[in-house]
Amino acid sequence: MNRETLRRLEMLNQLSLTEEQKDDVIRFFDAREADFEVIDKFFDTADVERMVHVMPVMTVVREDKVIKKFEREALQQNAPETDEGYWCVPRVLE
Amino acid sequence: MRYETVIGLEVHVELATDSKIFCSCSAHSYGAEPNDHVCPACCGMPGMLPVVNRRVVDFGMKAGMMLNCHINRVTTFDKKSYYYPDLPAAYQTTQWFAPVAVNGTVEIDTPAGKKAIRIKQIHMEEDAGKLVHDLREDTTHVDFNRTSVPLIEIVSQPDLSSAAEVEAYLERLKTLLRYARVAECEMAHGTMRCDVNLSIRPEGSTEYGVRTEMKNMNSIEAIKRAIEYETARHIDAVENGTEVLVQETRRWDDVKGKSYAMRTKETAGDYRYFPDPNVMPVVIDDEWYDSIADSLPELPEVKFERYTSEMGLGEYDAEQLTRSIALCECFESAVEVCGSAKDAANWVISEIMSILNTKGMTYDMLTVNGETLGRLIVLVRDGKVGRANARRILADMFDDATIDPEAYAEKMGFIVSNDTGLIESVVKAVVAADPASVAAYKGGREKALMALFGKCMKELRGNCDPQVLRVVLLAEIEKA
Amino acid sequence: MKIITAKTDCACEKRIALDDMILTSDMPTAAGSRMLDGYMSLFDAEVVTRLKEAGHCVSMKADVGEFAVDLMGETSYNGAPVASGVLVNAACETVKNGDAVAAISLDVNGAIRRGAAQSGLVCIKPTYGTVSRYGTIPAACSGECVSVTAGDVKTVADILSVIAGHDDKDGTSLPAEKCEAAGKVTAPVKRIGVIRALCEGVDADVQAKLDEFCAKAQAAGIEIVTFDGAALTAARAAWNVLMSAEVCNNVSRYDGVKYGYRAERFTNIDELYTNSRTEAFGDVLKSVILYGSETLSTENYMKVYDKSLRVRRIICEIFADLFEDADAVLMPAVGKMAYTEEDVKADKYMAFSENVYTAPASITGLPAVVAGGVQLVGPALSDAALLDAVARIG
Repeated sequence: MNRETLRRLEMLNQLSLTEEQKDDVIRFFDAREADFEVIDKFFDTADVERMVHVMPVMTVVREDKVIKKFEREALQQNAPETDEGYWCVPRVLE
Repeated sequence: MRYETVIGLEVHVELATDSKIFCSCSAHSYGAEPNDHVCPACCGMPGMLPVVNRRVVDFGMKAGMMLNCHINRVTTFDKKSYYYPDLPAAYQTTQWFAPVAVNGTVEIDTPAGKKAIRIKQIHMEEDAGKLVHDLREDTTHVDFNRTSVPLIEIVSQPDLSSAAEVEAYLERLKTLLRYARVAECEMAHGTMRCDVNLSIRPEGSTEYGVRTEMKNMNSIEAIKRAIEYETARHIDAVENGTEVLVQETRRWDDVKGKSYAMRTKETAGDYRYFPDPNVMPVVIDDEWYDSIADSLPELPEVKFERYTSEMGLGEYDAEQLTRSIALCECFESAVEVCGSAKDAANWVISEIMSILNTKGMTYDMLTVNGETLGRLIVLVRDGKVGRANARRILADMFDDATIDPEAYAEKMGFIVSNDTGLIESVVKAVVAADPASVAAYKGGREKALMALFGKCMKELRGNCDPQVLRVVLLAEIEKA
Repeated sequence: MKIITAKTDCACEKRIALDDMILTSDMPTAAGSRMLDGYMSLFDAEVVTRLKEAGHCVSMKADVGEFAVDLMGETSYNGAPVASGVLVNAACETVKNGDAVAAISLDVNGAIRRGAAQSGLVCIKPTYGTVSRYGTIPAACSGECVSVTAGDVKTVADILSVIAGHDDKDGTSLPAEKCEAAGKVTAPVKRIGVIRALCEGVDADVQAKLDEFCAKAQAAGIEIVTFDGAALTAARAAWNVLMSAEVCNNVSRYDGVKYGYRAERFTNIDELYTNSRTEAFGDVLKSVILYGSETLSTENYMKVYDKSLRVRRIICEIFADLFEDADAVLMPAVGKMAYTEEDVKADKYMAFSENVYTAPASITGLPAVVAGGVQLVGPALSDAALLDAVARIG
């Protein structure tokens, strides 16, 4: 992990780190990468199928039915800024 | 040098389900109050978990089959991350690793004959919300009604080579998806949107040139103009070195008739896809697969062929009917009841289509039941209800699909009277009251007869066999 | 110790504390983050609904570390929960102090299991999918589970029976018959395998707890065998990848637009996002977000993220093999019996190495019971059997 990659990662994740934090984050990356080397020591993963879900449940679907449970006013009670029923952000240029 | 244009399309189609893809909010966002069809899940609040709407998978499969795709029997959902105010969770749940359908073809007509456009894949995903920029100068307003409305994205191979082919392809997609009743595909409503990927290359070359993408095109006319413009711009750049082409996303300004490079962030396109741990794989077993395969409609050209050769309709009639699956279905069930393709076609084309047009409804919105229409046709043919009254019954059937034509005719007093005594007395009175028209007719003016006929029919409230009335009327004029 | 919200007027026998990852419509839920300070959910978590329906009094919220990924709560924006220099888990404290008969937590990275081990409480992280996650703040969804902590096995079992069961609102919820099976002892634990590799290097007081547990188990007629299990130590690295990536994705929704913290100063949308997130998130969470993001980059996806998903399968297979020879396996839940404030000051990322003990059950979704300061992990759906075993061992 280097500063240039880190700068890109910050942008990608909408975060802005101080110089001190950057050193800290790089230490975290280095530690995780060192950890990860253990994996290759123990396992050959080449022919192993990935496992996203730990339990063998398939095809969880629901009927196409409309249920209205929430009102706009309640949904916007935690909102920093609303106007005429809309959430608001600074003007986005298209 | 001569160049050919190489075009691939990514077409987004909103699926015609009642509820959203992962939550139970209404999926009909068009025309709703802002943020009225929203719940904690589709406005990005924590805690609700996605559960897939079964009909979205039905429709995804159906679309895949209509486009001759291979259906992936295990299909999975993935998360795609990026920040934009119309994406409340900052990720979109889509299909990256195992889309519902792959490797299809769509055949289009070109001046050079049929051409097969290959489909790379169809994947199911959630739509984003809508941004409104014109309410306040410094602010963008965000509406999440459309968030999580189900979409399919149909990705073609770069097999299209002109604006005309793109138009034919989009029209064909519309027809197929509307026939399968999976989508409205109305660009003006935003239920069909299109990204155009375009490059040029010397004719005969197999290499691809620098590709540009125009996003979110929403009218066929604009797409055609944009393709012409971009093609010219690319050729100019290559031939005359007017600019250096770069792979980029561009915006088409249809008013100015120009495309512009969009300002993109350094991190654009870095989507960090990964499998969604909260959505289990969807396994399509044989029973499910077959039930969808069995529900596929006959294609419009097959219907056209059957209507003209087997059912004896003229080409014009067959063409009109096959414009919509709803018209076809209404027509076909009406024929089953009344036994006459010609009568049924007449009623659907000259009555039903014009009522739909007057009401500003699309043909696909037809709710009149073909079986009921068939019974109404029989009533007219048997002389039990006059044609004008039958039209009134039909108009009412648009508002109330449960109307039973016989009972309704009875209730409305539309049953034709066979009481010749009544007809004769009405005719006598009308003729006696209008000697001028009688004289005019006798003087050779055919129109005068129609006026008298109309008056009699009105007096009889339409409940009279027109043939009988005509005979009685002529006899009475003779006597006068 | 931080109890964030408490309905102090309640003194009934059925008081339950929730950790602050569980959403409630009558108390704020902040997930230990300034980002969600004062956030009021519009709905109750399914576990809350079930507890209330069963007559329990859900009366307090206990603080957690930011999105529950840390060691013991030290990353909470309220400050580390400390009692005489030693880190404590706030949910465990409510039980220990008698403020609540049981605590419900979201076990994301083992903080509650570590807390229970250090407090001498009983805790179960049930089989993944047997308790609904509807209404829990999502962090690492592929492995996190709603867990129960109490002073004794019976209370844990009783509360678990109230909250476990199929829920249509959670797409990862197991079918009803599977949930019921987890609640029944079909094969009592007769043989326990000690994972030697995980016991090496723990402090003497942890070793003493392990020895004590084994001795008591043998006294209760349970056979003790030993496995090497070295490969299980690699679960941690893979879990750190999966957890970080999922956390990164799940907390991306907190951007200052819909609810939650919004920075005061910004001139455009990117500044609104960046300033809000930068000001509201703590350092450890930021590191996790950035690391998680990087594991999903085009360059790293196959060699880091996808590989971790493969390791998950291998770890499951290793456990399956072990369960051929033993009914449950024994491992520590912690490396030392007291993590101090000094420890996390010296290494703020301690949670990502100390979770070597908790990651094997997290990444596999297997049930884990902490009792007597140690951890027993069993096959999927052996929840009741594990509780029965620790009851017999005493």
